[in-house]
Amino acid sequence: MIKVYRSAIIDASADKVWKLARDFNGLPKWHPAIASSEIEGGVPADRVGCVRRFTRRSDGGLLREKLLSLADDTRSLTYNILVSPMPVANYMAGMRFTPITMGGTTFAEWWAVFDVTSGPPQVTADDIGDNVFVAGFAAIGKLLAR
Amino acid sequence: MTKVFVSAVIDAPVEKVWASVRDFNNLPEWHPKFSRSHIEGGLPSDRIGCVRNFDIAGGGGTIRERLLELSDVEYSFRYCILTAPLPVENYVAQLTLYPVTVGNKTVGIWTAEFDVTNGDEAGVVKAVGDDTFGKAFEVLNTRLSGGRG
Repeated sequence: MIKVYRSAIIDASADKVWKLARDFNGLPKWHPAIASSEIEGGVPADRVGCVRRFTRRSDGGLLREKLLSLADDTRSLTYNILVSPMPVANYMAGMRFTPITMGGTTFAEWWAVFDVTSGPPQVTADDIGDNVFVAGFAAIGKLLAR
Repeated sequence: MTKVFVSAVIDAPVEKVWASVRDFNNLPEWHPKFSRSHIEGGLPSDRIGCVRNFDIAGGGGTIRERLLELSDVEYSFRYCILTAPLPVENYVAQLTLYPVTVGNKTVGIWTAEFDVTNGDEAGVVKAVGDDTFGKAFEVLNTRLSGGRG
């Protein structure tokens, strides 16, 4: 089991950031690595238990992820992977957005725990941490730049 | 129940900030609002249950606070007020530091919950939130960000 944790300051209010990140079907709206997304069965994207089915821009790789929890007061959600082209198993992740009252910015956190099924675990962990999580934070910051 | 929530970015690594604030007896060494402090009974300042006894600078009175929880894993401590020249009851506060991996900085979050006994909620919230917690983050950032950027 390996754990990845990335955090950053996003120069926008936590409410604005959360409005984007809360939409479990909204990855293509802000994440540069994601091409398209849909919620299976047409259920609402904030219904816990719903499954998002989305594709990577780089290779069209398909992922299916299930929403495990969603909370508006703590601006946080968790999910796990059902299907992924990445060499991972038992993958569970979460994100949380906390207001920085002195400055009006946002403290963004994104973490995951999982097993790596092939190749050096740290390489996969760093790839997810840097190219998925940190790249996601940067994209949100750019989108909401004041 | 009144809640105070103050958070700030401190431009220094979390281990460095934690080293500065972990000592439950050293608040007056870095916070300009306070002076003189000792741990009652000569206990170590990281012994859970110990009581710090310190003054508000400029003759503002003495505060006694009990350490309820200290975590080197979470970079966090929690404490309650035993006696203070403040119109509060059931006061419990917690300071937690989080690493900001992008830029190797720290986020500090300081919260408190209490009942206000004299009706002046705004005054107490300002004294706790701005003058104590906010001021602390300001001072820590100034002290610890030296040599950066």
